[in-house]
Amino acid sequence: MKETKNIVLAEDNTTLSQLLKFRLQKEGYNAFIAQDGKQAISLIEQHKPNLILTDIMMPFISGLEVISHVRNKLKSETPIIVFSAAGQEEMVLKAFNLGATDFMSKPFSPNELIIRIKRILT
Amino acid sequence: MNTTTLNTIIQIIHYLFFSYAFLAIFSYVVLSIISAFETVDYFKKNSFVNYKKILSSNIAPSISIIAPAYNESLNIVENVRSLLSNHYANYDVIIVNDGSKDNSLELLIKAYDLVKTNYLINPQLKTQPLRKGVFKSTNPAFEKLIVVDKENGGKADALNMGLNISNSKYVACIDVDCLLLEDALQKMVKPFLEITDKKVVATGGVIRIANNSIIKEGKLMEVNLPNKLIERAQILEYLRSFLLGRMAWSRLNGLLVISGAFGMFHKKIAIEIGGYDTSTVGEDMEIIVRMRRHLEEQKVNYKVAYIPDPLCWTEAPDNYKIFVSQRNRWTRGTIEVLRKHRKLAFNPNYRNLGILSYPYWLIFERLAPVVEVIGIIYFGILLALREVKWDYALAFFILAYLFTTLLSLGAIYSEELTYHQYKKKGTGFKLILISLLEPFVLHPFVLYAAVRGNLDYFFNKKKKWGEMTRKGMGNINK
Amino acid sequence: MLNLETFKILQNYFQQLPIELKFVWVLSFILTVFAIIFTFYLKILRNSLRKKEALTIKYQKEYEDLLLSFLFEEIENNELSNKQNQFIKTIENEINNNFKRKIIVETLLKLKNEVSGEIETAIQDIYLKSNLKEHAYKQLKSKKWDKVANGIKEFTKFKVKEAYPEIKKLIKYPKKEVRKEVELYLVSLFHFEGLEFLNDLKISLSEWDQIELLEELQKLDNQEIPDITVWLNSKNESVVSFSLKLAKIYNKYETVETLLKLLNHKNQKIRLQVIDVLTHLQVFDAKDILKNSFKKRSQEEKIAIFKMFENICEPSDEDFIVENTTNSNFEIQYLAIKMLKEINEKAFNYLLKNQNKFYNKELLKFVQNN
Repeated sequence: MKETKNIVLAEDNTTLSQLLKFRLQKEGYNAFIAQDGKQAISLIEQHKPNLILTDIMMPFISGLEVISHVRNKLKSETPIIVFSAAGQEEMVLKAFNLGATDFMSKPFSPNELIIRIKRILT
Repeated sequence: MNTTTLNTIIQIIHYLFFSYAFLAIFSYVVLSIISAFETVDYFKKNSFVNYKKILSSNIAPSISIIAPAYNESLNIVENVRSLLSNHYANYDVIIVNDGSKDNSLELLIKAYDLVKTNYLINPQLKTQPLRKGVFKSTNPAFEKLIVVDKENGGKADALNMGLNISNSKYVACIDVDCLLLEDALQKMVKPFLEITDKKVVATGGVIRIANNSIIKEGKLMEVNLPNKLIERAQILEYLRSFLLGRMAWSRLNGLLVISGAFGMFHKKIAIEIGGYDTSTVGEDMEIIVRMRRHLEEQKVNYKVAYIPDPLCWTEAPDNYKIFVSQRNRWTRGTIEVLRKHRKLAFNPNYRNLGILSYPYWLIFERLAPVVEVIGIIYFGILLALREVKWDYALAFFILAYLFTTLLSLGAIYSEELTYHQYKKKGTGFKLILISLLEPFVLHPFVLYAAVRGNLDYFFNKKKKWGEMTRKGMGNINK
Repeated sequence: MLNLETFKILQNYFQQLPIELKFVWVLSFILTVFAIIFTFYLKILRNSLRKKEALTIKYQKEYEDLLLSFLFEEIENNELSNKQNQFIKTIENEINNNFKRKIIVETLLKLKNEVSGEIETAIQDIYLKSNLKEHAYKQLKSKKWDKVANGIKEFTKFKVKEAYPEIKKLIKYPKKEVRKEVELYLVSLFHFEGLEFLNDLKISLSEWDQIELLEELQKLDNQEIPDITVWLNSKNESVVSFSLKLAKIYNKYETVETLLKLLNHKNQKIRLQVIDVLTHLQVFDAKDILKNSFKKRSQEEKIAIFKMFENICEPSDEDFIVENTTNSNFEIQYLAIKMLKEINEKAFNYLLKNQNKFYNKELLKFVQNN
């Protein structure tokens, strides 16, 4: 029996996160939504997801810190995809330096996101 | 001296008091009306501004947040994290540990993976020397942070060190425990970028009182009205002063003070005029006055702007002792600044600054408590001599009380129509209640502190900053 | 009756007062009336604001759920149209209510701004097929400038090209906020072609406006970036400044000649900006011109010039650099010493050995150790 993969999504735009959650569920994944970095970290520690999607710009604990926490404190190799607003190349570079797997700049196509997720999770 | 001369003198004294009161009232009314127009104007212009574009733009100008810290170990790690989470792209945070005697530096080093770096400081402004040095983080997530540990020199001195260290175009000088909202930087930098006919040299923001509000992870979750009367009365006072006063002065381009808790400056100009003055306790007002004076002398077409949005939340004194100490310091600061720059008084060479702002500040801000206290003493003398004309006394006291109450109601009204921060049920009633009570629970202490301030200024030169015991905003829970 | 008695006493008291006190009491009475009105009005105001907020949240959730459930059906050509039409019908009545319409538009945009591809197109279609744009057209004709600006903004966000003729008429609107929205519309939808208005712009384009326009332009890559020489030579300094930013962002090497000419522009700010662009483009040709005119330039320009040389200094510049190792300005001195160490270590060591009063010892030590 195929194991359902877990995905943690950290995104503070509720409409977008709901949309992505439905989409992910349609593709057969379990999606857990966090509204900020702190919640994201607690969900990650709780569910040990197969993939993490995170926005970079988040209140208090940023996406960068989430990546740093996962790679350095949790010592986990879980693939991480970051979303960034257009034009934040510096942030994206920092994210990769910290260990991010892939990035998508906003606005992005949910379909393309799914394709990338599938590629990473197989 | 015969009775007619005595009577004439008494008459003149009465007329002087009444004219002063009348002018004061008239000026408040005028300022309130101008403030109302300016606030509505600002609102309209900014209701559909898209701030998000600026924040991620790398063409947006660089800003340094400079936050001096002295013995702030209780909350410093959380406060710094809050400052680092601002949504502006092109900024850094300079924490100046001003010779703290506690373990603030150690806490920061541990929390943010800091290491000592070799940093070349351009000594444009004279400051106390470095102590442990300049520290930066090895973790790219905290790249924006610079911590400077130096010998104690006071807030102004620490800010000057920050100015020396910063490589940005603009600097935001704040109190380290001030909670900045995510879009504070772009809102504060906007006047610098959008006004084309004048050079904007400084912007000031509204300070909101955070006592009893819920702050979690450095984010303002819920705005509550504090419980103590003294705290509530200060909220009312701030609303009056900011929404009905400073907005008007901004429009008249006569703003003399930008709160030390949150202000943004054009860095080059701040350095050009010599940075902050370390010999005064009113350094936030002093630098603005000196900046304006310098620009007037250079005949530059400039502006000091004001943002009414609530961007900065901070802790206000919650007991009378600390409150009086704070107001005492503000009084001494005002006196020091006005004396230092007395050349401006009524001087047409300085245009609005000399003819309007300085005189107003001198007569209605600095002298108001003095006049009031003299009035009270005079009333006391009349009382002792049983010379009080009770008809007059009653009528005028009631009028004065009604007027202050109405002004407070106007401030509340203004706040409801614009930012409506106090949403909970019952708060409206509490605000009205405090408007009625403020003349009794706060004003006497303001007067007392002002008197002490005057006395301390003239007779007690050793006093400086005083204590502000930290309660810790992060620990305030419902 | 007690009341009548009291009233008579008060009335008598009042009558015998001197005129100024009568005036004071009347004033007090008026103020009290105001205070009471204020108090009641405050309660009403707060209640209505509270209700409005609760409603807003309720509608936001409603419309968000509605939108999402419609976007989530199988995407087959016919199906999608049906679902769209259903959605449109459902909200058609609601659109006429200003309050609800605002929330609907916000909900649509909240998602549209974050996604691209099929979903974005679907949202766009919903907007175009419904009556939403009629309301926006109405706003364009409003007498209140903020409504006009809002209407234009809506057209910009939903990329409604057909509104172009109506919006073009507003390009010379008296309020600058409206003009700004027109410019953003033009640039958003027509990219570089939309910048035509720069050709005869008479008023100043503020820095804020410039940043917004540039951010819009940068959203799409692979564009035909036009020749900006005309704008670089504009009499409108803000247009020059804007095109300099374009030159930097899009690496317009072909404008170097014009840039070199602009090094003598009368406005210092422009000159500084030109030096910055030349620094970014690493234009070696600029070095001689700048070296020759160095002494005549302002302090700020000198510092900027040194920052430029930092990346492109060559041994041929040694004399120039050595001359400025004694420059009174800290930043220039530092950069000069640093560059000297890079291009001629021997000369730098010579400096170290001969630290007479001219040299800032701290600086030398710092450069030596880093």
